[in-house]
Amino acid sequence: MQGDGVHQGSETDRVDALKAGTAAAWTQLLSHHGPSLLAYAIRMLGDRSTAEEIVQDSLVNIYHTIDRFDGRCSIKSWLYRAVHNNAIDEIRRRKRYVDVGHEAQEAYFDEAGRWINDCPGWDGLAPKQMDEKRLLGIVRQQMDRLPHAHREVLLLKEVEGFSGQEICDALDISPGNLRIRIHRARAALRAAVVEG
Amino acid sequence: MIFFKCSDVADKISDIIDERASVVARMRFHSHLMICANCRRYFEQFKRVKELAGKVSPDDLPEDFDHVMGFVMNEIDKKNV
Ligand SMILES: [Zn+2]
Repeated sequence: MQGDGVHQGSETDRVDALKAGTAAAWTQLLSHHGPSLLAYAIRMLGDRSTAEEIVQDSLVNIYHTIDRFDGRCSIKSWLYRAVHNNAIDEIRRRKRYVDVGHEAQEAYFDEAGRWINDCPGWDGLAPKQMDEKRLLGIVRQQMDRLPHAHREVLLLKEVEGFSGQEICDALDISPGNLRIRIHRARAALRAAVVEG
Repeated sequence: MIFFKCSDVADKISDIIDERASVVARMRFHSHLMICANCRRYFEQFKRVKELAGKVSPDDLPEDFDHVMGFVMNEIDKKNV
């Protein structure tokens, strides 16, 4: 995919170069993943300067501990896991962590599994009904207000386009857990966007 | 269970979207949508929001990463000296 020298080799070659401390390999790694890592941290933390500190510290720490990387997951997942864990620690330290509530969709259905009220709708969501840029602004804003546990899976799955395995590795969760969390997170985002 | 209830449809949506549902589940899901306007609407909204969430990022990467990059490379240089 990448046309540069470092990214043409296998992941093992790249990891070897990183472990050897090759500056070019580190520059490549940082320029390839750094901006996305920072974007992820900004969306999780809500402010850029703290996000920069978190990403800096995580990357420096990764540099010092790269020998411990055992290749059981991709280097990308490893980077995200480090930034994610540090971001969550910081959010918890500031007591700003928003846990997942019980906003389960069962509330929509009666005991027989039928809609209690009609599915709440927002016709503005239909393509061509509203300027897409404005819609994207609304989706983004609502995503940034979701509980962190929902936000993190949506950022990795929908925004970053991670595979299921990569998300499991980055968040240290099981595939079964991921499946449930993705569904709940999407349902929460739908509710936030459609129902406000 | 032969027919999906509305709540079954809601539970299965992500599996359908991510193409993880079995053939039988897909048939039950889409059969239900044919007779239920509420679930059709819910499914369309779900898909649309997912699609929009995937479009949020491209113009959204921080432009200036030099500051962070400089900091980290400095640390690396320190160790290499
Ligand atoms: Zn229905």
